[in-house]
Amino acid sequence: MASITLNNIKKTYEDGVTVIENLNLEIKDKEFIILVGPSGCGKSTTLRMIAGLEEISDGELKIGDKIVNNVSPKDRDIAMVFQSYALYPHMSVYKNMAFGLKNRKVPKEEIDKKVMAAAKMLDIESYLNRKPRALSGGQRQRVALGRAMVREPSVFLLDEPLSNLDAKLRTEMRSRISMLHKQLGTTFVYVTHDQTEAMTMGDRIVVMKDGVVQQFDTPQMLYNHPKNMFVAGFIGSPQMNFIDCMVKRKGENYFLSFGNYEIVLPNRMNDYLVMYDNKEVVFGVRPEDLSIVKGKDEVNSFDLYVDIAEMTGADYYLYGTFNDKKIIANVPSNNNIKSDKKYKFKIDIDRIHIFDKINERLICD
Amino acid sequence: MEKNIKKYFPAFVLPTFISFTVVFLIPFFMGIYLSFTEFTTVESATWIGFENYIRAFTKDENFLNALWFTIKFTVVSVITINIFAFSLALLLTKALKGTTFFRTVFFMPNLIGGIVLGYIWNLLINAILGVFGFDITYDADYGFWGLVFLLNWQLIGYMMVIYIAGLQNVPRDLKEAAKIDGASSFSILRNITIPMVMPSVTICLFLTLTNSFKLFDQNLALTGGAPARETSMLALDIYNTFYGRIGWQGVGQAKAVVFFLIVAIIAFVQLKITGRKEVES
Ligand SMILES: Nc1ncnc2c1ncn2[C@@H]1O[C@H](COP(=O)(O)OP(=O)(O)OP(=O)(O)O)[C@@H](O)[C@H]1O
Ligand SMILES: [Mg+2]
Repeated sequence: MASITLNNIKKTYEDGVTVIENLNLEIKDKEFIILVGPSGCGKSTTLRMIAGLEEISDGELKIGDKIVNNVSPKDRDIAMVFQSYALYPHMSVYKNMAFGLKNRKVPKEEIDKKVMAAAKMLDIESYLNRKPRALSGGQRQRVALGRAMVREPSVFLLDEPLSNLDAKLRTEMRSRISMLHKQLGTTFVYVTHDQTEAMTMGDRIVVMKDGVVQQFDTPQMLYNHPKNMFVAGFIGSPQMNFIDCMVKRKGENYFLSFGNYEIVLPNRMNDYLVMYDNKEVVFGVRPEDLSIVKGKDEVNSFDLYVDIAEMTGADYYLYGTFNDKKIIANVPSNNNIKSDKKYKFKIDIDRIHIFDKINERLICD
Repeated sequence: MEKNIKKYFPAFVLPTFISFTVVFLIPFFMGIYLSFTEFTTVESATWIGFENYIRAFTKDENFLNALWFTIKFTVVSVITINIFAFSLALLLTKALKGTTFFRTVFFMPNLIGGIVLGYIWNLLINAILGVFGFDITYDADYGFWGLVFLLNWQLIGYMMVIYIAGLQNVPRDLKEAAKIDGASSFSILRNITIPMVMPSVTICLFLTLTNSFKLFDQNLALTGGAPARETSMLALDIYNTFYGRIGWQGVGQAKAVVFFLIVAIIAFVQLKITGRKEVES
C-alpha cells in the first residue's frame, strides 16, 4: 500500500520565501503521477518534500496510512532518481546499486541476486564493474534507475530524469520507464517540464504554476477539458489559440463576435453564458480544430492570412496573425497549401473552450 | 608560422634555464659532491668517499636521535593536524553562523613567521610551566608536545581552508542519494564525503608531512634542541653539525643529502598512495 496524500502542505524556505502556499493531492497506490509546470513552479520542492529531503513547513504528508512529516528519508520506503543521476563516482556500477541494500544489512547473496536481476532488466549487466564516468548518459540513467529499483521501494520519485539525454534516447527511455512502472507495479511520481513526457507517461497529471495546482486529471481530460487558460495553453503542442471576443445574444442563440466574424454557439452553452451577455471573453481552439474550407458562405469560419506554412510530414503547421494575435492551424498535408496567401478556416464549435477574460477560468466547453 | 616560433625556442627558454641552473642545479650537485669530501671552504675540498656518511650514522648519536625524534614528531603532527583540520572544516561547512569569521581567525596563525611563533609560544608555555617550577627544556617530552602543539596551532587553519574547499565541492545530490539509500551520517562521511575529498587529503598530507619533517624555525625558537640536543630535529641537527663543529662540515653535508632523500621518498610514496584513491569525475 503506497498511496500518497498531501494535506494543506506549505513550504517556506529558510530565506522566508513561501514557494508553496497550500497544496493538496491524493495519489493512489500504483499510479503513475506526473508533476508538470514551468520552471520554478515548485515541482522539485514538492517531490523533495515527499522524499524527506526538504522539511515541510506546515500540513500533513501521508505515505500509505502513515503520517511521515518527521520520518527520515530512509524510513519512508521511497527511492529517488535525480536529474544529475547522483551516482557515486568512486564506486563501480555494481556497488552503486548495492549500496542501499548494504546499508540495510541485506545478506550478500540476496544483494547479488537483486542487483543482477535489475541489471538484466535494464541491460546494464556488461558494465557492472565500470565506474560511472566510463558510461554514456543513457547508461548512467539506467544505472540510476537500477539503483532505485533494487530496493523494491513502494514509491519511486523521479526528478526530470530524462532532461540530460538527447531526443532519441529520451523517447526510448520514456517507454522503458513506462514499462518499468507496469512491471514493478508501484507508485511513481515523476517531475518534468516537458508536456510530451507528461502526456505520454502519466496516468494522471498535476499541472502546477507558482506553487498552486491548476488541474489534476488524466491526460485526456487535461487536453479536452482544461480548467483554465494556463492549462489549456500549457498542454498541447502547438499551443491552443486564444482569441478575444464578445458574447452576443440573438433570441435563443448566443454568438461570439470577433472582428467582422461571428460564430454561433451550441445551445448547451446557454446556461453558462447568461451572465456574460455583451461581455468580453476569450475563446480557445486547438490548432487541429481549425480546418480549411473553400465555400464562400461557410458559417463559423474566418479568413486568415497565412505567413508561414511548415510541413512536418503528415501535417502542415500554418502560422498567421489575427487581431495582433498569433494563430496556428494544424491541417493534414494532403491540402495543397502555400504561404503568403489568405485561406478560410472553419472552427469546430463542438471543440471550443470559452474562458473568463478576467480570472482566465473556463466558462464552458 | 609554427616554424618561426620554433626558431626562437632557445630565446624563450634560456633565461629560465640559466637561472634554474645557477640557483638550483649547480648548488644541488655541488652539495652532493661536497658530502663526499672533507672541506672547510668550497675550494679546499678533498675527496674522502663515504667517510662522512659513515661518521654521520656511527660516530654521532645526535643524528640518529634527531632522525627518530623527527619521525615521531612527523607521525604525531600529521595525524593530529589533519584530524583537527578536517573536523573543523566539517563543522564550518555545516552552515553554522559566522563561518567566514572563524575561517579568517583559524587561518591567521599561518601568516606569522615560524621564529616569531616559536618565541611567543616559548614565552607562553614557560609562563604556564613556570607556575609548577620548571620550563620547556626540563624534559624532552615537554619539548616534543610543545612542538606538536605549536605546529598544530600554525597549520590547522591552513589545512582547514583546503578541506573546506574540498567539502564544498561535494555535490549535495550525492549526499541526498546516500541518505535515501539508508546511509547513516557516519556512513555518508566514510563512504561518500571522504572519498570525494581525497584530492584535498592528498594536498594536506603532503603539506603537513613535508612541513613537519623539515621543521626548523619553530624548533630553534621553542627549544633550541634543549635539553642536551634531545629535542633537536633533523634540520636543526644538520645546522648545528655544519656550523657548530669544526671539521664536521662534510658530515653536515652528508646529513643534508640523507635528509633530502628521505623527504623526497616520503613525498613521492605519499603522493602515489593517496593519488590512487582520488576520484576522477
Ligand atoms: N533552497 C532554497 N532556498 C530558497 N529558495 C529555493 C530553494 N530551492 C528552491 N527555491 C525556490 O523555490 C522555487 C521552486 O523551486 P523548484 O526547484 O521546486 O522549482 P521547479 O518547479 O523544480 O523548477 P525547475 O523546472 O526549474 O526544476 C523557485 O523559485 C526557487 O528559486
Ligand atoms: Mg526542478
